[in-house]
Amino acid sequence: MAVSRLSSLAAAAPAPVYAAIGEGAAAAIEDLFLDARLDRAASPRHAALLLVCGRFRDDDIADLCRLHDQLPHPRATLRWRAEALPGFTPDGVDLAPDADVAAALHAVYRALVAGARASEPALLPDEPPNPWRGRGDHGQGGEGMMGGVPYGRPMAMTDDDLRDGLALDAYAAPFGPFLSAFPPGLRLDLTLQGDVIQKLAVARPPFDQPLEAAHPLRLAARMLLPLGLPGLAERMLRRAAGLAPGTPAAVADLARALRWRGARAALPPGLGRIPGGGDVRTRLDGLLAAAGRGEAAPAPGAPMALSELLVGREWAEAMLVLASLEPGWLRRACRADMPHAPSEDAA
Amino acid sequence: MTSALAAIALLFALLVLGALAAALADGAAAALARGRPAGAALAVPLRRAAFLLHQQAVTTERPDRLNWLLAPVFYVVLAAVGLSVVPFSADLVALDLETGIVLWGACESLVVVVVFLHGWSANAPFAMIGAYRYVAIGLPAMLVSMFVLIAAALPAESLALTAVVESQRGLWNVLRQPLGLPLFLVLGLSLTLRGPFDYADPYDLAGGTSAEVSGPQRAAWQVARLTMLVAFSAMAATVFLGGYLGPVLPGPAWLALKTALVLALVVAAGQAFARLPPSRMLSALWLVLMPLAFLGLVIAGVEAL
Repeated sequence: MAVSRLSSLAAAAPAPVYAAIGEGAAAAIEDLFLDARLDRAASPRHAALLLVCGRFRDDDIADLCRLHDQLPHPRATLRWRAEALPGFTPDGVDLAPDADVAAALHAVYRALVAGARASEPALLPDEPPNPWRGRGDHGQGGEGMMGGVPYGRPMAMTDDDLRDGLALDAYAAPFGPFLSAFPPGLRLDLTLQGDVIQKLAVARPPFDQPLEAAHPLRLAARMLLPLGLPGLAERMLRRAAGLAPGTPAAVADLARALRWRGARAALPPGLGRIPGGGDVRTRLDGLLAAAGRGEAAPAPGAPMALSELLVGREWAEAMLVLASLEPGWLRRACRADMPHAPSEDAA
Repeated sequence: MTSALAAIALLFALLVLGALAAALADGAAAALARGRPAGAALAVPLRRAAFLLHQQAVTTERPDRLNWLLAPVFYVVLAAVGLSVVPFSADLVALDLETGIVLWGACESLVVVVVFLHGWSANAPFAMIGAYRYVAIGLPAMLVSMFVLIAAALPAESLALTAVVESQRGLWNVLRQPLGLPLFLVLGLSLTLRGPFDYADPYDLAGGTSAEVSGPQRAAWQVARLTMLVAFSAMAATVFLGGYLGPVLPGPAWLALKTALVLALVVAAGQAFARLPPSRMLSALWLVLMPLAFLGLVIAGVEAL
């Protein structure tokens, strides 16, 4: 009795969904999560449903499989406006392009909670992607208890620090392309010391998104998430969702809310400065002003490489800088950091 | 002996009912901040908790499993021990220590250890970054609260919380030391990993120390955060709002009402303000809040002379 009551309580919860956002899907996903029946999970560990939406590159399929296997049981995958993905074959649900997606997601969630739908098994074998390469005092191949690449993954090893000269552990790992705090599709090979980015290489640039996804209010809302203001971000997205392109938005109340909540003051002056494009704070102001006039997001200034903006920054600051960059400008900045970047036309 | 047992019973009742009320308040506050109706959202945190009890608790590669599981338990224990020195009335207190404020201070600082443990034992990068980021911010936040609490103890000439409450019969500390409660609320946000002080479990780290936690283990961590919020609110009500003092109603009822008021303030503040990047927050803590707390202590010291 108690169990069934707990089940019905759980079934009434918003469905926790992790979104794998592909090319052309960013705005649709943002609008979808305005629905109170859904929770947008920041980590796949917090989700029951994986929503796959948009077009993906061949390189992304392996990451998509890994992402799928990180969801705890019970779990289910739903594909919406997604092209066929050879190699990514969970026994999921395909939604029609014009389906009531929120209702469909919640129905699958309820079926999972009630046990009426079986949880999806893992797509990949539960074993290290690379063989053991043991060497050294603890079999890991480095020095002492540090360093080496025991399973093909580099372990922390001391390295010179950019800021204060302390030789702290450096940790190298790929981040993305489905990290919730990154623009969709961006995959970076980063070396971190503490939470400071020491080295950066772009493995894959963010996906191209339609003009609608670059509405200034949407860009401003994405900057509010790392500032811990999801409520205000949702209010901005709600306003952007109902607007035809080129229509001026009422932004006086939003600008006032930004000031009262300390969002402008929270942004360090000079952070992410681009010649001719201001810093993160002026870019946020510029986005609100552009939305008020019904214009597109302002041109962000002179071209730069992403590494010039992010190397030496702490993680939280780097996420703010990333969120403040106009999508087209960011794609060009990423290509400057890719040694064998295909041209924009080829992509 | 009987009164101590009654106080212990009240303590657990306050922790359980307070955590439940805090969950409802969280649901309503999050909905209001999003511009959604609050009434329908009240029960959402409870429904989410029910789902977490259905979900698998996943594990990472080689976590420190024991400490990972124990971190939320330690968190709840610290909330209960911290609350044990709070008097429900002049003669109703679970642990009537002469050094009650010192015990609370010890619990505060051990929260830093518990949150670090939660992130460290997951053996994953975002959890680890959340852990040491919290230590960097949590320590100066605790120092600010120490100055504030010592200033509040000066008029009472005692570190016992019953004496601190009795010293407010003429004038509550919230009016006598106007800097005290706002600065102490900063600690409340930090102790409970909330909004502008949620450096352990933030969005930009995909959930930080909780990034790899799921199922009942995640529910336990959320409950632990809520119980610490209740303990903090009761402590703030005791030190700044006269605790159990008040007309007509019995002492425990006044304490519960004032605790609810502080709890609502902390929940609202968690939704209301932006989170500074950690290095900017460190500057604000050391260069603005710490001198303000020290100024409050100096003024309280001069008044006490």
